[in-house]
Amino acid sequence: MAPAVTATHVPESEPAAEYEDAHVHQVYDHIAGHFASTRYKPWPIIAAFLAGLRDGWIGLDAGTGNGKYLPLPLDRPGHLWTIGLDRSRNLLEIARTAGGSEREVVWGDVLGHAWRPQIFDYAFSIATIHHLATPERRKVAVKDVFVPWVLSDDKTKVFQRYYHMFADGELAALVTLAAEELGLTVGPPHAALNTRGMEIVQDGWERSNHYVELRLWQS
Amino acid sequence: MVRLITHNLLACHAKGCTTNNFPLEFKDVQVVLRESEFNPEFLRGFMPKIEWPALLGAARELGDTSLPDQLPEMLDDDFLKALHHVLLEIHVEEGIMICPNCQHNYPILNGIPNMLLAEHEIA
Ligand SMILES: [Zn+2]
Repeated sequence: MAPAVTATHVPESEPAAEYEDAHVHQVYDHIAGHFASTRYKPWPIIAAFLAGLRDGWIGLDAGTGNGKYLPLPLDRPGHLWTIGLDRSRNLLEIARTAGGSEREVVWGDVLGHAWRPQIFDYAFSIATIHHLATPERRKVAVKDVFVPWVLSDDKTKVFQRYYHMFADGELAALVTLAAEELGLTVGPPHAALNTRGMEIVQDGWERSNHYVELRLWQS
Repeated sequence: MVRLITHNLLACHAKGCTTNNFPLEFKDVQVVLRESEFNPEFLRGFMPKIEWPALLGAARELGDTSLPDQLPEMLDDDFLKALHHVLLEIHVEEGIMICPNCQHNYPILNGIPNMLLAEHEIA
């Protein structure tokens, strides 16, 4: 289940960033200890996603919380490197040793992109984007997860993926809009040269949460 | 943590700062060395992503001179072990990372880098 903090309506008079700060970040900092102990179990869909990735890939967990996905996959520890990003410093203090080993965590905002361009092979974001207070900010956050992706040497076949849960049916429309604004073709790969696109691989619902899996492709 | 694997990925993202914003320069750092499990499979897969001059510079700045000037063509175990140590066993616990372009300071506290910007500083 998503945590009980959801930002769905913003009063006109209150700027979105301040609203998020008051209603989301401060609350998470306050409840960090409890939140971490009750949300330890990884979501199986993400565990399966990470289990299918290649050795040597690096990824970003945007909104890592207590860092429970950072040790995965458990049968190949250290063969992937997932960096945890979160807005809550107190949660990061827990995430930095998630699973009993040292993890790489970064204190930052999902709306920033403090990374070399197109460096990540994969990215996922769970129960984070629905905390952003306006549709516009949610769309920017989706774009910012797209941007650091890299298209690897194997141009026709290798895709990057992105998972995101959303407690709302707008998710597929949101990522489609974000992709179009980034100049990506939406749909399956096609033969036109020098085209970059985004394909929705799965659009599902589990445990009261929507999720979408995306691939970036280049022809 | 800020290990050199992460340092090799981070870039300044202050508003308008889009060129010469990598690598961030260390200042006043405290470093701790911690052993971690050697994973040649990870290193071989990750290697094409490394910005070599940035890694070399950061390692030497932190006192490690084990890496060669150029990425070798043959990836033997000695090289991979040196690379493993540099990427994953040198922890910068405290200090500052400074953007070479706009001089923005990103502090590191208790091993966690603060990459937050104020709303008006975000591009
Ligand atoms: Zn800068």
